[in-house]
Amino acid sequence: MAAQRQLMRQSYGVFRGMFLQQRCLSVTAQRLRPDDVDKALSVKEAPSKDTKNIFETKEEVERRLKLQENIQIDVPLDLTPVTGVPEEHTRTRRVRIFKPAKNAMQSGTANINRWRMEFETRERWENPLMGWSSSGDPLSNLNVDFADKEEAVAFCEKNGWPWFVEDPVEKVMKPKSYGLNFHWNRNTRVSTK
Amino acid sequence: MMRLPVHRVLQKAVRHGVSGNGAVRGLAAAPEKVEVFIDDKRVLVEPGTTVLQAAAVAGVEIPRFCYHDRLSIAGNCRMCLVEVEKSLKPVASCAMPVMKGMRVKTNSEATRKAREGVMEFLLINHPLDCPICDQGGECDLQDQSMTFGSDKSRFTDIHFSGKRAVEDKNIGPLVKTIMTRCIHCTRCIRFASEVAGVDDMGTTGRGSDMQVGTYVEKMLMSELSGNIIDLCPVGALTSKPYAFTARPWETRATESIDVMDALGSNIVVSTRTGEVLRILPRMNDEINEEWIADKSRFSCDGLKRQRLTLPMLKNQNGELTPVEWEDALVGVAQALKSARGNQVAAIAGGLADAEALTAIKDLLNRLDSELLCTEEIFPLDGSGTDLRSNYLLNSKIAGIEEADLVLLVGTNPRFEAPLLNTRLRKSWINNELNVGLIGPKVDLTYSYEHVGSGPDSLNAVLEGKHAFSKQLQNAKRPIIIVGSTALQRADGAVVLAKIQKLCSTLRAKGSIDQDWRVLNVLHRVASQVAALDLGYAPGAQKIRDAKPKVLFMLGADEGVIKREDLAPGSFIIYQGHHGDKGAEIADAVLPGAAYTEKQATYVNTEGRAQQTIVAVTAPGMAREDWKIVRALSEILGIKLPYDNLNEIRRRMGEIAPNLTRYGDVEDANYFTQAAQLADLALGKGSLTTDPLDVPLKELEDYYMTNSISRASPTMAKCIQSVRKQRQSKY
Repeated sequence: MAAQRQLMRQSYGVFRGMFLQQRCLSVTAQRLRPDDVDKALSVKEAPSKDTKNIFETKEEVERRLKLQENIQIDVPLDLTPVTGVPEEHTRTRRVRIFKPAKNAMQSGTANINRWRMEFETRERWENPLMGWSSSGDPLSNLNVDFADKEEAVAFCEKNGWPWFVEDPVEKVMKPKSYGLNFHWNRNTRVSTK
Repeated sequence: MMRLPVHRVLQKAVRHGVSGNGAVRGLAAAPEKVEVFIDDKRVLVEPGTTVLQAAAVAGVEIPRFCYHDRLSIAGNCRMCLVEVEKSLKPVASCAMPVMKGMRVKTNSEATRKAREGVMEFLLINHPLDCPICDQGGECDLQDQSMTFGSDKSRFTDIHFSGKRAVEDKNIGPLVKTIMTRCIHCTRCIRFASEVAGVDDMGTTGRGSDMQVGTYVEKMLMSELSGNIIDLCPVGALTSKPYAFTARPWETRATESIDVMDALGSNIVVSTRTGEVLRILPRMNDEINEEWIADKSRFSCDGLKRQRLTLPMLKNQNGELTPVEWEDALVGVAQALKSARGNQVAAIAGGLADAEALTAIKDLLNRLDSELLCTEEIFPLDGSGTDLRSNYLLNSKIAGIEEADLVLLVGTNPRFEAPLLNTRLRKSWINNELNVGLIGPKVDLTYSYEHVGSGPDSLNAVLEGKHAFSKQLQNAKRPIIIVGSTALQRADGAVVLAKIQKLCSTLRAKGSIDQDWRVLNVLHRVASQVAALDLGYAPGAQKIRDAKPKVLFMLGADEGVIKREDLAPGSFIIYQGHHGDKGAEIADAVLPGAAYTEKQATYVNTEGRAQQTIVAVTAPGMAREDWKIVRALSEILGIKLPYDNLNEIRRRMGEIAPNLTRYGDVEDANYFTQAAQLADLALGKGSLTTDPLDVPLKELEDYYMTNSISRASPTMAKCIQSVRKQRQSKY
C-alpha cells in the first residue's frame, strides 16, 4: 500500500513537472489537482492481508519468517566446491597481490593507487595464424583491482587461490629548492645548462 | 609575491608585537609545518617544500614535463603553472616554495587557460607523428595534451615554412635520438650531469634554434645512459635496441628483480608472446630509487641467445648430444651413484637462486657430501661467514645518504654496483659527503681522496699515520665499504680483519651512534649472500683439494674450476641457462631457467631477500632449476621432501629464516665478537705488497660480466662503441 502511494506521489510529481514546463496536459492529468491528490492520499485504509497465509498458525508464521532471513555462518567462505572451476585452476595457482608500479616512461600516477591481483605466468606462444599471443591459461587475463589488499586477500581466499602479498616501498618526499641550483660553494650548483 | 620595503616590514613587526628574541626562538625550534590550501584542501608541509610537492601531498597531481622528483628543479617547461590567490600571474609550481596560508587553485579557469597556452606552444614545434613514434602510448606529451590541451589548433602554416626540424644526434648504441621531437625539458641534461656524473650533454642555441645534444658527435659514456630514455617525456630519446618492436598496450608487464649485480634492483619485464622485449626500472627507494643500470636494462636480448634448451649427454665420441629429460636424468643419476661422500661436489655461480641452492645442498647432503662451494671467494679465517654481519652491506644502500664519510676499499662501485655509486654521488651532491678510496685510481664521477693503492695504506689508516685517518676519527657516521674483489686475494682474510679492526677502533671512541654500522661488504654477484646464508663454502679451493669424481655446476660460468682440478675421468654436470664456460666442459647439460623465467629468491648485498616473478616460461625443454634437482633426487631414490614452491620455501626458511622474509632486511650484528675473532686471521697471515686491483676499471669492462650479458649482442655493441669513442679526439 505504501508502495502504491509512493508511486502515486511520483507520478503526480512527473505530471506536475510536465504541466509547469510544457503546458500541454492530457485530460486525466488536468483533473489531478494538487489538493485532490493530497486528499486521496490521506484516506486511511485497512491493511490488506495475503489470502495465502490467512489460515497460518502463529508457529507457522514464525517458521515462514525465519526461512526468509539470511543465515549467518562463522566459517570462512569458500566457493571452490560450487564454482566448478577445476582443481588445476584453484589450488595449484599462485596469486600475487600487489600495488602496480608506475610506468617508468610516464609521470602520471592515476592508475597505480590500487591493489591488483595477477596469476603466475603460464606458457604463452605466438599463434602461427595471425602472430597473436596465445595461451592455454584461462586465468591469464584475469586482473582484478581492489581498493585495499584485505579485499584482494578475501577474494582469493573465497576462490581458493593461494596468494602472496608484495607491499610496495613507499616513496619519501624531500623538500626541494630551486635556489640550490645557484648555490655558490655547494655541489648542488648546476654545471651544465 | 611582492617584496615589502624594509621600513614597512619593521612597522608590521612592531604592530603585531613580535619581539626579535621571540622570532629567533621560533626559528631555533623544530621546523614548524606550513599550512597550505590546495584547491581549498588544507595540507601541512615542511617549510621549503614546493607548491607542486605540496599538491602531491594533497593528492593533486600537477602536470609537468621538466620537473622530476630526483633531479634538480629547472622550471623551464611552464606546464606546472597554477593560480595562486593574490598573485597576479600564474606561478610555476615546481619552483615556487610554499608560503604560509597560500591558497593554490590547481583546476581554476586561469590555471587551465595557462596550461592550454603552454601546451599549444609546445605542440607548435612538436611533430604530430605519434603513429610512428616509439613513445606512442606511454608519452607524457600525448597524455597531457589529451587532458590539458586545447581541442583545436591555431597553428596554420600560412607561409609554408614548415615546423621546426632538428638533426638527429648519435649518442651511442643504446639511445636513439629524434631531436625534432625534443621539447627542451632538459631532464636528460640534468640526469647526465647530476646522477650519471657525465657532463656531456647540454644545450646550444637560443629560442627556436635551441638544441639539446653533445655539441660534437660523442657517445654518452655512462653506465646509466638508458635512464634518459625513461626520463624523456616525449619520444626524442627512445631505446635503440627496442626501436619499432612493440607498443606498450601489446606488452605485459611483470614486476621482478634484476640479477646483473648484487643490489637486486627492482625491474619491470615487458613481454609479448613468451619473449622478453625490454626491461624497465621499478621504483624502490631503498634500493634503486627509479634508475637501473644499462646492463640490467639492455642485456635482456642475451636471454634469447646461446640458450640451453635441451638436456644433453656426451656420447661415445665425446660430443654433447640432445637427449630426452628422462635419459639425461638417468645418466646424471648413474654418475652421482658411482661416487659417494666427498667424491661429489657442487659449485654455484653468480646467477643461482636460493631455491636451487637449497635443493642442491639437500641433495648432496643426502649423498653424504659437504663439498658445496660458490665461485666467489670470501675469507673464512676469523669468524668468516659464520656471522652474517661479516658479509653484508650492513648500513644498507639508503643508509649511505646519512653517512658523512665513506671509505671504499678495493672496489669500483661505479661498475660493480652502479646504483650504489649513484647513491654515493647523490650524497656527495646534497650532503657534501667525503669519499676516500683505497685501490686503483678510477673515475667514480665525483671527487674523492685517493688514500692509497696498496694494502699498506690500509695499515697507515689503521695506525693513524695517514691524513685520512684523522677525518675518519672525527666522522660521526662513517661507512667503510670493502669490495668483494679485495677479498678474492690471497691476503683477503687479512684485509677483512684489518678493516674489522679499524671499524672497532672507530667504534671504541664512542662518538658513533650505537645503531650505526660501519663495516660493509659489497658483493659482485646476485647469488652470493643467499649461498652464504645457506651454508655454502665460499671459493672453490675445497673442491681443488678434494679432487672429486663428480662435479655439479649450478650456473658456474666464470671458469673457476677446470677439468684438471678434478679427479681423472671425472663427470661434470652443468645445470644452467646459457651455453658458456660451464657447459663447455660438461659431460651432461641440464637446461635451467633464467631469472625472468622462474619465481625465485635472490638476496642482495644488504641481505634483503626479494623474489623474481615469472615473466615468460623457459624456452624449449628448459625447466625451473629446483624442479630439475627435485626430479633428479627421485631418480636417485633419495626423494627431496618438497613438491611445490611453498614447500621448498618452507625448507629454505628452516635453514635461514631471512630468505623468505621478502622485502625486509634482517639486521645483522655481533660486530665486537667479529672484531675479536679477526685477531685469529691477523695471526695467520699478513698483507702482501701487491696493490689492490679491480677488474672493472673502465666502461668497456662493465658490459659483459656474466653469462647473460656475454650472450647479449647489445652489450657487444656497447663495448665496440666505447672502444671507438676512445679513439675519437673528443
